[in-house]
Parts: sequence; structure tokens; C-alpha cells
Amino acid sequence: MAETEAIGSGHHMTNQTGREFRDLAIRLAGDEVKTCIQCGTCSSSCSTAHLMDASIRKLVQLVLEGRKEEAMACESIWLCTSCLLCTVRCPRGIRPKAVVSALRQIFEQEGRRNKDQAFERLFMDQIKSCGRISEFMLSAVYPLKNPLSTVPIMEMGIELMPKGKIAWQISCIEGISEIRRIFEEMDSQ
Amino acid sequence: MRIGVYVCHCGLNIASVLDVEELRRFAESLPGVVVARDLQFTCSDAGQDAIKNDIKELGVEAVVVSACSPRLHEPTFRRTISEAGLNQYMLEMANIREQCSWVHMEEPALATQKAKDLIAMAVAKASLLQPLESETMPVSRDVLVVGGGVAGISAALDLANAGLRVYLLERKPTIGGYMALLTDVFPTNDCSICVLAPKMAEALAHPLINIMTYSEILSIDGSVGRFTVSGVRKARYVDESACKGCIGECAGVCPVEMPNEYDFSIGKRKAIYMAIPQSVPLVACIDENACIGCGRCEEACPADAIRYDQQDQEFRLDAGAIVVATGWQPFDAKRKEEFGFGRLRDVLTTLQVERMLNAAGPTGGEVVRPSTGEVARSIAFLQCVGSRDQTVGNLYCSRICCMASLKNSQLIKEKYPDADISIHYIDMRAGGEGYEEFYLRAQRLGIRFVRGRASSVEQGEDGVYLHYEDTFLGRSVRKRYDIVVLSIGLEPDSGADVIGNVLGLARRPDRFFEIAHPKMRPVEAHIDGVFIAGCASGPKEIQVSIAQGSAAASKAMQLLIKGELDLDPTVAYVDQDRCIGCKLCVDTCPSKAISVKGTALVEEARCKGCGTCAAACPTDAIKMRLFTDEQIMAQVEAATAVKGEYPFIVAFLCNWCSYAGADLAGTSRIQYPTNARIIRVMCAGRVDPSFILEALRRGAEGVLVMGCRIGECHYVKGNLQALQRVQVLRSVLEKAGLDPRRVRIAWCAASEGDILARTVKEFVEELKDLGPVGTELMQAADQAIRPGLTDKADPNKKPPNGAEQKEA
Repeated sequence: MAETEAIGSGHHMTNQTGREFRDLAIRLAGDEVKTCIQCGTCSSSCSTAHLMDASIRKLVQLVLEGRKEEAMACESIWLCTSCLLCTVRCPRGIRPKAVVSALRQIFEQEGRRNKDQAFERLFMDQIKSCGRISEFMLSAVYPLKNPLSTVPIMEMGIELMPKGKIAWQISCIEGISEIRRIFEEMDSQ
Repeated sequence: MRIGVYVCHCGLNIASVLDVEELRRFAESLPGVVVARDLQFTCSDAGQDAIKNDIKELGVEAVVVSACSPRLHEPTFRRTISEAGLNQYMLEMANIREQCSWVHMEEPALATQKAKDLIAMAVAKASLLQPLESETMPVSRDVLVVGGGVAGISAALDLANAGLRVYLLERKPTIGGYMALLTDVFPTNDCSICVLAPKMAEALAHPLINIMTYSEILSIDGSVGRFTVSGVRKARYVDESACKGCIGECAGVCPVEMPNEYDFSIGKRKAIYMAIPQSVPLVACIDENACIGCGRCEEACPADAIRYDQQDQEFRLDAGAIVVATGWQPFDAKRKEEFGFGRLRDVLTTLQVERMLNAAGPTGGEVVRPSTGEVARSIAFLQCVGSRDQTVGNLYCSRICCMASLKNSQLIKEKYPDADISIHYIDMRAGGEGYEEFYLRAQRLGIRFVRGRASSVEQGEDGVYLHYEDTFLGRSVRKRYDIVVLSIGLEPDSGADVIGNVLGLARRPDRFFEIAHPKMRPVEAHIDGVFIAGCASGPKEIQVSIAQGSAAASKAMQLLIKGELDLDPTVAYVDQDRCIGCKLCVDTCPSKAISVKGTALVEEARCKGCGTCAAACPTDAIKMRLFTDEQIMAQVEAATAVKGEYPFIVAFLCNWCSYAGADLAGTSRIQYPTNARIIRVMCAGRVDPSFILEALRRGAEGVLVMGCRIGECHYVKGNLQALQRVQVLRSVLEKAGLDPRRVRIAWCAASEGDILARTVKEFVEELKDLGPVGTELMQAADQAIRPGLTDKADPNKKPPNGAEQKEA
């Protein structure tokens, strides 16, 4: 199995999809990505590394190897909190966070769907319409897209409710028009 | 001037393409030529004899050899003519092999026309040649070695053993440098001070070495062979000749205690102290910033050596050469905040651990946890702290840290086999004799190797916690250690800024001193008579520093051993009547050879003859003795006299890279158009805009300037100056209505014959589009008279910066 994988890795860079994926991701995330030495500073700085299936370091390598499907399938893409510690500390001046953003963008542009992407979309839609997140609305709507997630969310909700941690209503922030303008500008780009 | 021209057949190398007899007849017709011969092989004995005969029999005063490249046979023919009694500089070569017969094999007629032009250009230059005499200059045979580390000590000993007097200058109170502070050293794990101390003692005892510790340079004047150095010997408030070095008496009573910088603050020292027990000279020193002046040491000193009234003393000395061995300084680990150095007590640096491991060090050879004082049983070494790290501005690998951590971990593991030691690395670098075996030894001893650079260290209840990813397993880990050792990198010593500035030494982007050539001239500075050894030019191991010290010593010996120096006469000089003292030349000179006191003065021993100053001088007051303005102008004039083809190009190529590239195109038989007439200059920076304008004025369609690739100029930055001048000239041309694309500047290495050929080819194509020189002026005039009518006649006009982007 290891043998076939090794052969496969060469294959990714010779096929066109692999190369195009690599080039696009590098164009979006910056040319420095090519200079990665896989030192692991990013992943050991990462605040959500313990939740990730593939570390941010590995995502960079998957990009460089043009292993598109493997990269697209990583949950890690959706777990990044954009804390930017990776980007501050990278000794090569790479922006690993930008690699994550590039992968998210490629995923969306290609119209791919999965539960994390669905969550991301709900999250962003709420921000767009109200300028903030309502835990109640989010946890009410997300299970519709991903029924399996319901049980653990309900448990947590039951604990949080009596403590007054969940707001039943969602009210818009002041200056919501500014937020919407930002979204429109981003969409038009 | 009676000129002899010798057209070489070079067997069939030239004669199979060019009409040699036609060339000979042409040469005969040129003004000043008294004899023109064609010779089978001019470089053969028979050929050389023919030249010698003509000098003797016909009174030939200047010789033009029309054959191969001057880079090949100029030395040969200079010898030939000087054997016949002519000054060796009365020679000019026309390169009709590399620039004609070998690169225009399919175009014999055009190649022969080009060869005629090259011969005419050579004859024009030859008629203006002047005999030049090499002068000799008596030099000081003394050498100043700056820096008393292992590289400086090696250089000093080698020089002194060869009979040269040496001043060994050191900023600290003792010589020895960092090597004197280390414990055992790789790859043999022998004791550092045990092998260094005998060398230090030998230097002290050597009658030809004058050790000047606690001293600093203030200024250096003069040039190779006769530097004048002034500096200051700081007061140590102890009479060096009286002090017996017992130290216990005075330091024992001193009430001031402070962190010892020679232990990197692990241990303490007094205000009166000796840096290390093996200090050379073995003399105490009072730290004037710490001393409270209580007078107790004076009372305690059995030798009455304390001198509170001692003053800093200025000194002056003369030296023929200078060895810069200013070494390095450790990266300040506090700058990597995430590792907690200076904040977390149990985070140490390599140098602190070196001192702890040293049996004579502050902990008596034990590596301890500073927070508890107990022996450390679990230790993590973090590699690349301050090296290979863009966030702190150090892109380079510090080269010795992998080996140093391998060594320190071995020393600990040998003492405490159950110690848990891990080395966290990005890449283990163990290149060197016995180094990989040393790595293997560490692995066999049970040291753990974790591939991954740690991200941060934090304090826990029971120790320090390290965050890292084991990149091989893809696993993020948080692990407890007794101590974490930061393998700090090497930076250039900031104390060397003064000598760097007063000598005008160049620095690389990594801030270390730049050597004259990254491979071929490892210990020479750009400044004649200055040599660089050890870590001053980049991180190095002890063995390499020693080798460089010896190499620098050997170079200084070659320079000074005769006691006199032959001066190259092909340098710049200043016409004092014309100079207006504007100082433009001062900044232009890569060798810092020009000073201005009222008017400019070229220090000829420093000048390397690039001619950049002559091109920069606004009043043409700086002149070259060879490659004079007049000679180059005469070449331009001769080149453009016939203009036998279209488009016609005059090309200025620097001697070292692009002219050599043209030679390589020849030897590789790379074919390119015949349109360019090449004029050799020492540096692209020599090309005065007036040469270019003259060529255009005389009807050349375009002018090509080529130099070494950026960063590879043999005179540091002459090519950049050429670029700047060409850019300015282009904008001037544009204002005057000429297309700026008529002047092209490009770079080519000596190994890039193909690039030279391609550049000429592309330029010819571009000039064909532009049309004969002046076309654009006529079009503009037309347009002024009949606006709108000639718009479509101008289809080739592009924005002028299009061309610049392509080349620059």
C-alpha cells in the first residue's frame, strides 16, 4: 500500500488537475508557499491542531504535491479559527492561514458541499443578515443540513439554557448596512 | 606612431571564414600602419619572432595583433613586445576569432567586413597608446590582526612564524574568543581550552606578536602596504606588568558582585575580575561601570598593581595588511518571545549549557535546573533559534548548532545515561569530516530526534512545557522537560561595525562581511590588503576558522614578504586643474580609493582600474591610464567609419563576464548576427554616456552595454551604476525625440555565451523595427508639419518602458 501511494504521489504532479490545483492555491495564498520546509512551526502553534485530521503543515504539503482530493476532504480546512499564530511565526514568511483560505475558496467555487461547508455558509449568512451569530438559530438550522449532529448539540444546549447562555432572539447590530456592504464588495470580487 | 598589424590565420580557425589577405591589405592602408603581415600562428615562436623583428628592424612603436581574444593571449604578446624592447602596454588586440570567424561561419563576407572594422578600431586605439611603467612601492611588513579569537590567533601565529611582525588586537581583556569559553568540542569531544590555551600562550610568548587586549580601533587611513591605524587601549586600572594574575586576593575582597558575561550570566563575578582562569595576558581588570571605588582591592593586592588613575591610551601603528577576524555574537534569544528566554528560568541557551558543562564553569560541570538547582534529567534542545528564520531577519543556517547540540547531548548522556534528551530539528546538518559518524553516535547513545521545530515553551507547575509537532507522525505534542536549551544562531559581531565602516568593507544581505568571491577568493576582502578570516564572513566551525586564519596569513605574507609592492599602472588619476571637488567619484569607487581634500585624489595602490569614477566625473577630470576616454572614442569613431551593414550596433562589454561570455560564444561556435562591433572595457560602469551618444551621433542604430549579472560585478556594483546611467540617458534620449530602445543594457555571465548571442540577435530584430537612427526624428518632424497624416507610419512605437522591463 505504501508502495502504491509513493507511486501515486508522483502521479499527482503529472496530471493536469493536480498541477492546476497547486498553481491556483499558490496564486491565492502567495508564492512563498513553495518555500515551505515542513518544520511544523505552524501546526504546533495552531490552537485547533488537536481537533484536526490533517495539520495545517500537512495541508501545505498536500497543496505543493497537487493532491487536490485529499486536501479538499480535510476537515481541518473548516476548523481553522484564523488566529494567525501560524502566520506570525512561520520562519519562511509563508501565510499558512492564507493556504486554508485558498482551499476554502476553491472548495466553494467548485460548488462542493459537505457538512462543514454547510456550517460555514449558515454562519456567514447569519453574519450577513444580522451582523452577529445567534447560537439558537444556528443550532436550530444546522441540524436540518446535518441531522447526525443534533444529539451532542442538544445535550450542550440543555446545559446552557438554564444558565441564560442562549439568547432566544437575534437582533441586528448597529450599522448592519456596513457589514452588508463588505459582503457585497467581497462577492463582487 | 609607427604601428605594426599582424593578422593571424590561426591555422584554418580564422582563415577558413575570413579573407586574411584582404584583411592584411586593408590593415596596410590604415593611417600610421608601417607594416601589416599575415601569420599562420602568431602565438607560435615564428609568429612572435616576426613581431620582434619588425620592432627592431622597422622601428614599430605599437603592435596590433588581430587574432584571438585578449583574454587568452594578451599576456603572451605583452611579453613578446617587451622582450623586443617595447613597453608592454603598447599592444592592442583585435578579436577576429571569437568575435568573427567562430560566430559568423555562414557569413564570410559580412564577417570579413566586421573584422576590418575590428582591426580599424584596434589601430585607432593603438595610435593613442602610451607606455606605462609599473612602479614599486616600499611597504610595511607588519600586519594588524583584528580579533583575538581562534581565527585571529591562527593568523597571528602563522604570520609571526614566517617572520612578520603582528599586532593582535582584541576588544576583551583576554584573547581566546568564544572558543575559550566552550567545553568539549565536536567532532572529537576534546577539551576546547586544553587545545586552545597552548596557542594563546604561544602567541603571548612570541617575540614578533604584540598582543593588545582591551583595545579598539578608532580609524584606519592609507591603503594596501601602508595602512595607518589609530585606536585606544582602554584603562583596566591594573598595571599589566605588575599584576601576577593571582586574582583571588583582589576579587576575594571586592564587595561588588554581578552576573558574569563570560558565563552568559549563569555565574557571578566581581568588579575586579579575570575573564577566564587561562586569560592571556594573565592580568586582572576592573570593570569601571561596576566598581564603587572602595579601595579594598588596592589594599589586598600583594603586587601593588592596582592603578585607579590609569587612563585610556590612544595608539597609532602602521601595517601593510589587515586581517579582519572579528568573529560573531550569539543571537539574542529574548527576541523569540514564544520560547520564554529571560522570562522562564529553566529556558537556557547553548552557550549557558556550554559553561555549565565546563568543569571550571559556574556549576562545576553539572547541567542544572536554574529554578531548583537540581541536576536536569530531561532536556530538550531546540534547533534553529534565530537561524533560518525570516521573522528575525536571519535567513541563513548558522551551520554549527546541529553539531553543538549533538555534542552537548552526548556529553550529558554519557554522564547520565538515563537522562531523557531530545533534539528538535528541522533538518540535521552534519556535513564535515566525521560529522555524520558523530550524529550516528548520538543516535546510538539513545538521544531522541524529533523532526519539527517547536512553537513555544510555557511554564507548568512542575517544569517547562514544550509545544511541538512530530512532523513524521503528524502528531501535536505538549511535553514536560526540566530544561529547554535554545540552540541560538550566530550573528555578525556588532563590535565589528567600526572596522567595517573605516575600511569600507562590503556586507552580504545576511550582514556578515562579504568576501571578494564567494568561492574563489574565500579570505580576501574587496579592499586590497584586507583579509577576512573566521566567522566575520559567516558562521564557521573551529577547524574552518583556523584554516581561514592560516589562509589569510598566507595571503598577507604573499603580499608583504618582498617588502615592496608592484603597482598596477592601469589605474585612474585626477587632472587637478579640472576637478571641482564634487565628490561624486568618492561614492562611486568600490575600492574606497578616492578621497577629496579640495580636489579629488586617487590612492593608486587601492585603485583596481574599473573606471567607474571616470564615467561618473561631470568634468572629465578623472582619467584612466589605459582604456582612456580618447582611446574609446577613437574606437567608436573607427567602428562607425564605414557602417557596412544595417542595423549597426556598437557594443560595450565588461572584461570579466560579458566579454568572456562573447569569447565562450566563440569557443562554443554559437552563431549570431554580424551587426555588433564590440569594445572591451574593464567594467560596464566605465561606459560614459558620452561614448553612447557619440556612437548614436555617428549613425549607429543602437548601442549595447553589457555587464556581469547583478550581484556578480567584479567591482561590486559597477553594473548597477551602468544601469542607472543608461536609464537616465534613455529618458534624455526620449526627450530629444530618439527612441530610448536604441540603448540596451543587459547582463551576462562568463558562462552564458548563449545569452550574449541571443541578446545581440534580439537587439538586431528590435532595431530593424525601429529603422535607421533618426527615423523617429523625421517622423516627429513630419507629424509637426502635417499632423495626423503620419500616424499609421508609426506602428512600432511602443511605450518606452516596455524595453526596460525585458532587460532590467
